[in-house]
Amino acid sequence: MSDLMKTMAASSSGMAAQSARLRIVSENIANTDTPGYRRKLVPFERIAAAPGVEGVRAGRMYLDQAELTKVRDPSHPMAGADGMYDGSNVNLMIEIADAREAQRSYEANLRMFDQARKMTASVMDLLRR
Amino acid sequence: MTMDLNILSLARDLGQHASARQALIAQNVANADTPGYQARDLTPFSEVHDGTADPFTLKTSRAGHMSETGPAARFEMVSTTAFGAEAPNGNTVSVEDQMMRAADVQQSHELALGVYRKSLDILRISMGAPR
Repeated sequence: MSDLMKTMAASSSGMAAQSARLRIVSENIANTDTPGYRRKLVPFERIAAAPGVEGVRAGRMYLDQAELTKVRDPSHPMAGADGMYDGSNVNLMIEIADAREAQRSYEANLRMFDQARKMTASVMDLLRR
Repeated sequence: MTMDLNILSLARDLGQHASARQALIAQNVANADTPGYQARDLTPFSEVHDGTADPFTLKTSRAGHMSETGPAARFEMVSTTAFGAEAPNGNTVSVEDQMMRAADVQQSHELALGVYRKSLDILRISMGAPR
């Protein structure tokens, strides 16, 4: 496998991991107001994307065990005797920052992929002469 | 008649160095958010190349397992990063720094291919072939 193909393998594993992360973030944002929802988190792990290529993948998803927010609404069907019920522990600010970081990293990977593709094309161009 | 075609092998080596470096940079970027990942790079081509007859370890590895060896087998790999890039989770990749390195790689790759192409042109002209 040539170095430029390795580049593309590493970059595509990065793009796959970042889009998995973005999916988890959007699930969290969609469930911001779901009672009892725990925020999902996904760890990044190193893998061999191809022989000798250190790529990345999104590992096993786990739930954030932080305290759920207490929402006061006595008319809510799930409210206890004190008029409070458990909301979600999603913090929109964190989720949006996370989404922005995922987007930025995705773009960086895409750039690397594109550059490798152009470098391959110029080598091929040399052969075509 | 002796033909000194060192320039072709020099250009080829520079091109190989550039693409090996590109592979490493892509791995760094892919692992930009992996906890504990250390950014890596190759030693610059000017330091690897000392101008002697066989300065490259890459020539020795060609006969054998090319597909199994990473860039490390052919060029020296160093752990390097920009100042202040280390994240609290131990990751030392700075995407901006990697972009700079990638631009540098692209430039040397273009240079290598340009030199190669021009040398081939000169050879062709000297043989009297029409361009």
